[in-house]
Amino acid sequence: MIDFAIYSVTVIAIWSVLALSLNLQFGMTGLVNFGQILPFAIGSYAAGIGASLGYPWWVGATAALIFAPLFSLAVILPAQRLSQDYWALITLGAAEIFRLTMLNTPSFAGGADGLNVPRFGDSLTALYVSLGLLAVSFFFAERVSRSPFGRMLRVLREDEVLASTLGRNPIRYQASISAAAWIMAAAAGVAYGHFSGYVAPTSFTVTETFIIWTAVILGGPGRNIGVVCGAIIIQLLGVSSRFVAQWVDLPSDLIANLRLASFGLILVVMFIYRPQGLIPEAREVHDAERD
Amino acid sequence: MLNVTDVSLSFGGLKALDTVSVAAAPGAVTGLIGPNGSGKSTLLNVIGGVYLPDLGKVTLNGQALPLGRPDRVAKRGVGRTFQVPKLAHRLTVFQNMLAGERDHCGESLPNLFFRPGRVARQEKEASGRASTILNRLGMYHKANDLAGSLSGGQQKLLTMGMLLMADPAVLLLDEPAAGVNPVLIEQQVAFLKTLRDEGRIVILIEHNMDMIANVCDRVYVLDAGSVIASGTPHEIRANETVIRSYLGQPANTQEV
Ligand SMILES: Nc1ncnc2c1ncn2[C@@H]1O[C@H](COP(=O)(O)OP(=O)(O)O)[C@@H](O)[C@H]1O
Ligand SMILES: [Mg+2]
Repeated sequence: MIDFAIYSVTVIAIWSVLALSLNLQFGMTGLVNFGQILPFAIGSYAAGIGASLGYPWWVGATAALIFAPLFSLAVILPAQRLSQDYWALITLGAAEIFRLTMLNTPSFAGGADGLNVPRFGDSLTALYVSLGLLAVSFFFAERVSRSPFGRMLRVLREDEVLASTLGRNPIRYQASISAAAWIMAAAAGVAYGHFSGYVAPTSFTVTETFIIWTAVILGGPGRNIGVVCGAIIIQLLGVSSRFVAQWVDLPSDLIANLRLASFGLILVVMFIYRPQGLIPEAREVHDAERD
Repeated sequence: MLNVTDVSLSFGGLKALDTVSVAAAPGAVTGLIGPNGSGKSTLLNVIGGVYLPDLGKVTLNGQALPLGRPDRVAKRGVGRTFQVPKLAHRLTVFQNMLAGERDHCGESLPNLFFRPGRVARQEKEASGRASTILNRLGMYHKANDLAGSLSGGQQKLLTMGMLLMADPAVLLLDEPAAGVNPVLIEQQVAFLKTLRDEGRIVILIEHNMDMIANVCDRVYVLDAGSVIASGTPHEIRANETVIRSYLGQPANTQEV
């Protein structure tokens, strides 16, 4: 039981980092990233490929933290003259291209069988690493959220032309927040690789991106604590559906599909009844006393 | 001095601007009038860098403005408002004001983490200025309201306030008084005069001829993308072409 609790909290911490990363892009900046799983996959594969080439863990981790932001720039810079809708399609496509490339390069990335990644020494190490990563990510996201930089991200989200006429170059802000958010997600990917001991293309499909989106929409786009709560709820639902599967006599793939359907239902209900999420974005209040 | 020289711009087959030239002097308010669809907003969009003209150029104090790049034009000290106010609706009035701050060191990720003191200082300074401007506009009591919850008139005042945060040398104002209640209009007129007296270049699009006569030093009349007349408000009111095309009545029945 305690092992299961450690496992669950580790998983929740890793997915919370992914939700925070998407929140920086979508919740604060309005960038619709339908390929949020890509930086996570880059992190896991960097860990796996590094290990398969015989390097120590930090080589893979460093490569992940370098390649993820480079990929983000490669995706966002060509799209800078296009509208936001294209950014959604480009990120979706980029994530799939990456996954299919890994799937089809067995000699390098293990193909469909994937790669082994050395596991953390014990499950507590995995837990502490994941919680530490979550703490750092949360601190970073909060600092950004309450800063002049975060304010301008929100102005961009509301109206790009307004930001330009105020003398800001939108792409500078979008590129730097994406790079930072992708570093965060890549770090989560490295941790996930060493935690699960294994990377394979099936872990990085559009479905995974969809799950991160559900957490953000449920929790409250634009609110860091909200999206962490969203990730907790979604992952608890996911974990508990495994117990349900043991009690009721249903095939496991049906349970998996029902789980996804319930996430879809959550999305629809939130869009209709509570688009601001469970914990909405806070209003930054100016304190007149400080003038 | 802001000079627009022979600017032309077509949207598909429509000539929205046809070799338009306009000169606006510092310490004066230059009016742009003309019927709806005559190209007034389009001209401001060209000067502000939002639209890239097909031909022509715009210079500020003799130097060409980087047309087509609104952010760079703004950095040269050109501020503008839009006919439909542009605001961050889900941010408070005060946060919108702070977004107008120019060159904020807190808008760089490294500075947030490595120079927090400097960021806090500039934020405090900007807050002080934002409070002063909001007071000047009579909007300080709205500081923590969401910008989207303001009335249309207050939104227009707020966009003006945001501009002033950057202390622009040039102000391009697109119908600041349209749909605004008379009390706020009076406030705006007084405000425009202050801005003018501070030596700024002000270009004003306005339909209210009383306001034009009251604040403008020079007026350009646009019709179907061309300047058909220019002069003092008094001369314009007496100009027959203008009366026929814009003021809407045959010259012989027009009472001036
Ligand atoms: N982005 C655009 N695309 C196509 N046509 C436009 C665009 N902006 C303005 N126009 C057209 O250009 C003409 C001038 O518009 P505008 O400058 O807004 O007029 P005004 O501000 O004088 O009322 C109008 O016929 C308008 O329909
Ligand atoms: Mg107009």
